[in-house]
Amino acid sequence: MNLTELQGLEERYLMGTYRRGEVEFVRGEGAMLWDSDGKEYLDLLAGISVCSVGHCHPDVVEAIREQSGRLMHTSNLFYTEPMVRLAERLSESSLGGRVFFANSGTEANECAIKIARKHAHRRGVSSPAIISFERDFHGRTYGSLSATPGLAANPALGPMLEGFRSVPFDDADALRDAVDGQTAAVLIEPIQGEAGIYPLSEDSLIAAREACDAVGALLILDEIQTGVGRTGSLWAYEQTPVRPDVLTSAKALGGGMAIGACITNEAAGAVLEPGDHGSTFAGGPVASAAALAVLDIVDDPVLLRAVRERGRRLREGLEALDGVREVRGRGLMIGVGLEEGLDSAAITVDLLGRGAVVNAPEPRTLRLLPPLTIDDSQADRAIALIGESLLSYKP
Amino acid sequence: MNASKMPPKGRKGGSDPVGGAAERLAEIVGAAERAAAAVIDDAEKQAQGRIDEAQERADRIAADRLRAIADELDPPSAGGEERPRLRTVEAVPEPAESAAPAGPRSDEAGARLLATQMAVSGASRKEIENRLRAGAGIEDPAPLLDAILGPEE
Repeated sequence: MNLTELQGLEERYLMGTYRRGEVEFVRGEGAMLWDSDGKEYLDLLAGISVCSVGHCHPDVVEAIREQSGRLMHTSNLFYTEPMVRLAERLSESSLGGRVFFANSGTEANECAIKIARKHAHRRGVSSPAIISFERDFHGRTYGSLSATPGLAANPALGPMLEGFRSVPFDDADALRDAVDGQTAAVLIEPIQGEAGIYPLSEDSLIAAREACDAVGALLILDEIQTGVGRTGSLWAYEQTPVRPDVLTSAKALGGGMAIGACITNEAAGAVLEPGDHGSTFAGGPVASAAALAVLDIVDDPVLLRAVRERGRRLREGLEALDGVREVRGRGLMIGVGLEEGLDSAAITVDLLGRGAVVNAPEPRTLRLLPPLTIDDSQADRAIALIGESLLSYKP
Repeated sequence: MNASKMPPKGRKGGSDPVGGAAERLAEIVGAAERAAAAVIDDAEKQAQGRIDEAQERADRIAADRLRAIADELDPPSAGGEERPRLRTVEAVPEPAESAAPAGPRSDEAGARLLATQMAVSGASRKEIENRLRAGAGIEDPAPLLDAILGPEE
């Protein structure tokens, strides 16, 4: 079946929720992808930060193969070892409390929202509110969507859930002013990903922590895109003076398998009780085995150092390109701000033609989330390809 | 977003790259030290909170034991006229449920943050080691350096 035939079937049978790039990928290895015509691509997006250990990492493939040959699913009515071991590993590597597994990032945030509301009710809060920053992205299910101000504003999808507010991005004073006795939680991204890679300042993170502590609210960090090594430490919050009460993870956690996790500190971990929440598939043995293999690869100081070094190499190379206004981000989470007159969507299409996969989260930003295993020559090739593309579009 | 909070803009040609890098590193180290101090303050507050909680728990246990002794010495009347009883120490209220969890030791947390931020900003192992010894009073920074940077090459 060729690409045209696939597009015909998509038109007939798939809901029109995506505008896909005009390519059918059939194979991946490390930072490389191949399409159905055999053309090679340098993947600088890693399936939106999912394939962080590279495509088809042999350790992840083997973990999936071994586990799927033995036991694939039992539901959460019974014990399976990979799930429990993964919970221990996630807790011990972060907040020390408990874990609820989900199947995606938005579901991990739904759990965090539920914890926040129940925790607030226990404090005697009658109308619990959750506060986020403008342009935050927390997901597309209704709780997470309600905490995603840009999407929640779409009247065609209304009404949203009650009890969600937003303040201007990175405005520490506005955040402090917004938090009051009715606040259940502040739910924010340490680096806004979908918005175009905008790191939050330490001032705002500290303001969020202090404001939550002052009223007894929870600080929830959405590390769905920043976590699992993306910024050069296992969790982005480790680079800040702020420790959240709850953090959410997904994307890279499963190395390509669908899994999310809501991880808490000790106190927040005791909030949900039997019957409060659940999921049929979550924490299944295959996804958990894959996630354990991913953490074996990523939770390694040598790899994390390489992420920081490769990130610097990419940022310095990109900053020197004609057409680049600024480069934002940390580690291998990179936003390339383009000069006036350059359209990131057009450049993304052009780069696909040149054999590089990037993404355009906003009209003048290219987003790069390459596999954490990318090497120096691939980083240099990425810089060269983006440079050529920008030159061809420069007015 | 105000200008001072914007992420740093890309730098291109024209400036002294060595001097610029040193200046950036000094800024980053300064910021890391301020952040580390904030972590230490926070951890000290949490530690004090834990001490207060422990004290309250000890007071409650003492109060319960005194009440038990009082009951033994002066048992409550069984349905008869209420007699004056030995006064027991009042139990203090339960601590707030949302008390912050104890973090790692304050000096360790601060040193780890300092080292992580320096590593992220591109400081060398030697620079981080020197700063940990001189600035954070860590006598043997090797385990922390290994944890953040990996074993020495």
